[in-house]
Amino acid sequence: MRIVYAMVAAVALWSAAPSSVAAAPEGQLTWGVHITLTPKYIDPGEMEGLITPFMIMYALHDGLAKAMPDNPLAPSLAESWKSSPDGKTWDFTLRKNVKFHNGDPLTAEDVKFTFERYKGTAAAMLKEKIAGVDAVGPQHVRVRLKAPWPDFLTFYLSASGAGWIVPKKYVEKVGDEGYKKAPVGAGPYKFVSFTPGVELVFEAFDGYWRKAPNVKRLVFKTIPDEATRLAALKRGEIDVVYSVRGELAEELQRTPGLALKPVVIQAPQWVSFLDQWDPKSPWHDRRVRLAANLAVDRKSINQAITLGHSRITYSLIPSTFDFYWQPPPYPFDPAQAKKLMAEAGYPNGFDAGDYYMDVAYANVQEIVANYLQQIGIKSKLKPVERAAFWSNYGDKKHKNLSYTASGAFGNAATRLASFVVKGGPYVYGSYPDIDGLFQEQAGELDRKKREALLAKIQQLVHEKVMVLPIWELGFLNGHGPRVQESGLGLIPGHAYSAPYEDVRLKK
Amino acid sequence: MKKFILQRLMYSLISLFLLSLTIFLFVRLTGDPTVLLVEPGASKDDMAMIRQQLGLDRPLYVQYATFVADMARGEFGKSFYYRTPVLELYMSRLPSSLLLAAAAMVFSLVIGIPSGILAAVKVGKFWDNAGKIFALLGLSMPQFWVGLLLILFFSVYLGWLPSSGSGTIWHVIMPAFALGWFFAAAHMRITRSSMLEVLGSEYVKLARLKGLPEKRVIVKHALKNALIPVLTLAGINLVLMVNVAVVVETVFAWPGIGRLLYEGIAFRDFPVVQTTVLLSGSMIVVVNLIVDVLYAVIDPRIRLGA
Repeated sequence: MRIVYAMVAAVALWSAAPSSVAAAPEGQLTWGVHITLTPKYIDPGEMEGLITPFMIMYALHDGLAKAMPDNPLAPSLAESWKSSPDGKTWDFTLRKNVKFHNGDPLTAEDVKFTFERYKGTAAAMLKEKIAGVDAVGPQHVRVRLKAPWPDFLTFYLSASGAGWIVPKKYVEKVGDEGYKKAPVGAGPYKFVSFTPGVELVFEAFDGYWRKAPNVKRLVFKTIPDEATRLAALKRGEIDVVYSVRGELAEELQRTPGLALKPVVIQAPQWVSFLDQWDPKSPWHDRRVRLAANLAVDRKSINQAITLGHSRITYSLIPSTFDFYWQPPPYPFDPAQAKKLMAEAGYPNGFDAGDYYMDVAYANVQEIVANYLQQIGIKSKLKPVERAAFWSNYGDKKHKNLSYTASGAFGNAATRLASFVVKGGPYVYGSYPDIDGLFQEQAGELDRKKREALLAKIQQLVHEKVMVLPIWELGFLNGHGPRVQESGLGLIPGHAYSAPYEDVRLKK
Repeated sequence: MKKFILQRLMYSLISLFLLSLTIFLFVRLTGDPTVLLVEPGASKDDMAMIRQQLGLDRPLYVQYATFVADMARGEFGKSFYYRTPVLELYMSRLPSSLLLAAAAMVFSLVIGIPSGILAAVKVGKFWDNAGKIFALLGLSMPQFWVGLLLILFFSVYLGWLPSSGSGTIWHVIMPAFALGWFFAAAHMRITRSSMLEVLGSEYVKLARLKGLPEKRVIVKHALKNALIPVLTLAGINLVLMVNVAVVVETVFAWPGIGRLLYEGIAFRDFPVVQTTVLLSGSMIVVVNLIVDVLYAVIDPRIRLGA
């Protein structure tokens, strides 16, 4: 009988073994990264207002909540949260049994410490609006606001590093500098090595709460040159490549075994009519602004520059943002555009003056300028280096026409605040009805009412034809033949592979 | 001699001071680095906070004084972009740059010197013309283009060599060739002209009249003297190869100082650009100082003239 039991047990163990082996992470996946990786990207405490650090955050760290494939604000380290009726207190319940890579349990003290330690871009705003963070119990965090703040979750959880939790005990032990050299997080991958600007290596963390990753080792190699990145992908030196544009993207698409994986990122681009508030300017006439919108063939531009992979939304708000309202499309109709120009008193067109643009996107703007010329709107192209362009834009030194784009985090309200509403850093003029509605929504705690107000504002932006939207930029990436799931495009609006625990190699 | 060395040392310090001032001011003419550290559309408050964190809100003279005082203590500040000490970054990249420079130098000398000798010995003939074409191509073809052609041919089509990165001997071959060709051309040209000058000198004529075999005349009598300017140039070129292989290191993703400088310029990372340029300048100043002192040791007229 014993022998029978032993045999049954052996068979059971043998049959169980393959599934456990199959579940264990294996293999290596290598990325060819277009940007230079820096130690500050591995510390949420210093996270700036850039999309780039999230390339690393999703591997090494975890947030209280974060964008996931099925939810733009999916509960992660926090299982749930709720606000008090007056909107001044938020209670977060942390997930139980979550551990950092060094084995320390993740508790409310770590959440409080992370918030207090955070000194990234949004720190000033968060600390101005938040009275304090309390560790009420091991799994219970309370955030006290100075006043109700409808955008609290957006800024605390998704637009800053304050909600991406670091281990208090460990950071206090090793210090900030030590932490950058040997970071410990609660994400699906743990740190192995980092040569700044060269290579970053992670290894799967079996104890990740969501699930054990599929791939054992992730390697991120910085390869600054686009053609070299593609060559590395072709040779199989890397498995996933970021940012391959134009003809190189076409070549990637043509190469057997390689796959182009375009991702639409939360960075719309549009043309601003800066003179529309000047009664003497032709742009003051709504018909002229509408004519300009009808004169541009967005689909052809999309095909020519991003192989048709950008998303044409006719809005300056990213379509993945909270409170987004979809405007009706502007058809490509040059005849109607010319008719509108004639009605506005410009049958032969006019000289629109200067057309400012970030030199990195001059190719797109040049095509837009050519379309405008087709209906008689002549402009002088003014390509400016990126930093100077944005500095001059913010200092209100632009005039006539200006390319505009933004990849900043937030929601529809924050984007409108920057580019549409009076007082915004890039606002050259505004409309009182829009300004009034914006003030109204800023204090509105009822989500439905706020949503309606923000939709109304976006509707007015469209009706007044305040801008000439071009597209939401398609970021062209690719992967090689070994890759089953690259993670690209799983999270809407996210530029990079994520979530990393879902990436997979072919068997 | 002591007076001569002190004088040269003083000149070197003045050169370094002027270099530090120039690079400090020039790098700031490029504009505000905070704009490149945030997404377009970031608020002015966010940018002001970053500016304050980086110490860029202080008056220019205070920034310069801090920079010089730190430098005197051997501290070169923290990178704006990397947020780590610049010296640490520089030292981590130095071994790769030294390796690449050494390989490129070997290549440039192995190709440049023999082809220069051949061109001088066979003036106006096939080898001379071939050498001229080789030099012309090396000096005129952009390094990024040579690099990309090499990657296309040897990595993509033939599959022989890795396209980028570092770590094995195979990784160094293409970048060393792309970097070395330019310098090989320069070495070839100077070898040729130096050899021609020496071959026309009286003592070489005498050696030939004595009936020495041509090979011996060239190798033993002419080449030794002709190599002096070549080696002087090679020394300076080695410093340049270590520090300014910006294009080659970028194309091949080679983790050297040139790429660090490129990143520094791209991100307006003032401490990185200042340190890289200053340390490169220091290397050149030190090499020149050593050469000056050696010349003075060899030739008393120089030190007496001082």
